[in-house]
Amino acid sequence: MKDGSNDTIEEAHWASDYRMLGSVLNNEPQGLMARLEVEVPGWRSAEPGQFALLQAGSSRCFLARAVSVADEVGARVSFLIAPVGEGTRELCALNGGDMVWVVGPLGRGFDVDALVISRGRAVIVAGGAGVAPFPLLLARMARRHRALFSRPVGEGPGGPQASTLEVLVLLGFRDALQAEASTLLREVAALACESGLRCRVEVAIEDGLRGPAEKVTDLLIRHLRSGDRVAVCGPTPMAEAVWSICASKPDVRAWFSLETGMACGVGSCHGCLITLADGSDARVCKDGPVFLGEAVFGG
Amino acid sequence: MVDLSVQLGPLRLDHPVINASGTMEIFELAETFGPHVLERPPVAAYVSKTVTLKPRAGNPPPRILETAGGMINAIGLSGPGLDVFVKEDLPRLLGLPCPLIISIGGFSTGEYEVIAGRLQEALEQLVGEGWIERAGLELNISCPNVHSGCASIGSDTHETGELVKTIRKRWPGLLVVKLTPNVADIAAVGRAAVSAGADAIAAVNTYKGLVVDRVSLRPYLGNITGGLSGPAIKPLALRSVYELFDAVEAPIIGMGGIATVEDVLEFMSCGALVVAVGSAGFRDPGLAGVLAHQLAVALDTRGLTRAGLLGLAHRPV
Repeated sequence: MKDGSNDTIEEAHWASDYRMLGSVLNNEPQGLMARLEVEVPGWRSAEPGQFALLQAGSSRCFLARAVSVADEVGARVSFLIAPVGEGTRELCALNGGDMVWVVGPLGRGFDVDALVISRGRAVIVAGGAGVAPFPLLLARMARRHRALFSRPVGEGPGGPQASTLEVLVLLGFRDALQAEASTLLREVAALACESGLRCRVEVAIEDGLRGPAEKVTDLLIRHLRSGDRVAVCGPTPMAEAVWSICASKPDVRAWFSLETGMACGVGSCHGCLITLADGSDARVCKDGPVFLGEAVFGG
Repeated sequence: MVDLSVQLGPLRLDHPVINASGTMEIFELAETFGPHVLERPPVAAYVSKTVTLKPRAGNPPPRILETAGGMINAIGLSGPGLDVFVKEDLPRLLGLPCPLIISIGGFSTGEYEVIAGRLQEALEQLVGEGWIERAGLELNISCPNVHSGCASIGSDTHETGELVKTIRKRWPGLLVVKLTPNVADIAAVGRAAVSAGADAIAAVNTYKGLVVDRVSLRPYLGNITGGLSGPAIKPLALRSVYELFDAVEAPIIGMGGIATVEDVLEFMSCGALVVAVGSAGFRDPGLAGVLAHQLAVALDTRGLTRAGLLGLAHRPV
């Protein structure tokens, strides 16, 4: 498909030092979302919470889309994508062997140590498509936990640093279909448990068809304790509600992964600006997308 | 391989592909992609985001939206202002291995004059006499997203001529004037700029437009209107470059929707000596370098030289 006004992206598959050309290994539906697994030659390991700009190789859209890195094994990178507009629909429709442009990883992610090295629990709170960054976060928390707390060979039980860390994963979805987006995260949670991280997943479904009609904020109200460290991603109303719950308990720190419309993803265009609680401006792409709750919402 | 180097006034460019002002923050790119960005920039000259006299917050969000074949923005010349630019950015930018073109914007002739004067002093101090071969000035008289100065100057041939004359008197280096396409006769504004002493014309800035939010049916952008860019505007921009090439002797920096090497060939054929990548660089920050490489291949393949390509569209078949 080509006309005079369209670019000739299909003819000119020239990767630069900045934009890589990945090839789709697998596209697996997870409820309403797609888990796109892409082989990206040249991929540098991502921090959890970082994102990439993705654009289908034969895209009819002008700009790439910012998508959280959901998981990675070397250069095999997974993205969980909700088809919310034209660009994401193109990405969700890709098949094995299709090409996809990738710029990334980009942005500032979650501080794994702040979540793992804590006297309280680590709580992950995700709503809907906000589940996307958390498989990688949980995998990295498990890895870091192992590095910090696994006993050296030959040392008896109750070694010098016994871990008290417990990870609580609270997820909220509209219905059972949307909840299937948690498949990858549940797989990672099972692996994390096997590796010795105490980890529990709870899911709230809003439609109430197969159980109580609950929101993820109901779960959070039930479980949140002072001293907890919280990582959040989800729609703005949910994030605001989560913040007010967190702010009501003493000594709770919460980090939020934010989403805005973005053009460049690297701090060039100044398009994704938000105003922080102290009145200063921040670019979601470069200064975020992960921000401390008080920086975004105020004290 | 074809020699792509080009002389733009006193500036020597390794190839004819640069960035459009406000679309590339080179230090941000270096933070993300590594020091090679500063050692081997993808652009042959780096054009800064427009520097204003005072710090400016810019326009309220939302500021950008994708449109059919392009995007619209209403950033509004946000930036830390001249003092911070001179102190923090200028010394680092002069460390780049390519020439620098400093885009400046003002809300009166006096503001442009003050900025140009301060920049000249700073360049003399930082580089010495040879600064003229390292750095040039681009007068942004075409930003559609501020409510006074700037584009209101560039929409008027007389005001354009007066501003350029004033700056020309005190600025000995390369003087580029960036034109707005939101005028009835862009060639007339170009002529006014060149006869007042501009060394080169950059064309075009974005087209003033508006997008409506599909849910609220109200204007989407915080600023109501914005500037349209991307492949959607390419035929409009090509027409402007074509007309300017007939109207002025000065070299033209062509831009407006350049995303592929075919676009580069078209702009050069219409009369652009140098081309600039704008919003297409948002999806590939290395695009300018890719296009330069592809241009060399394309010229070779077609048996063309850059001199033969320049203005080809104006010559009979």
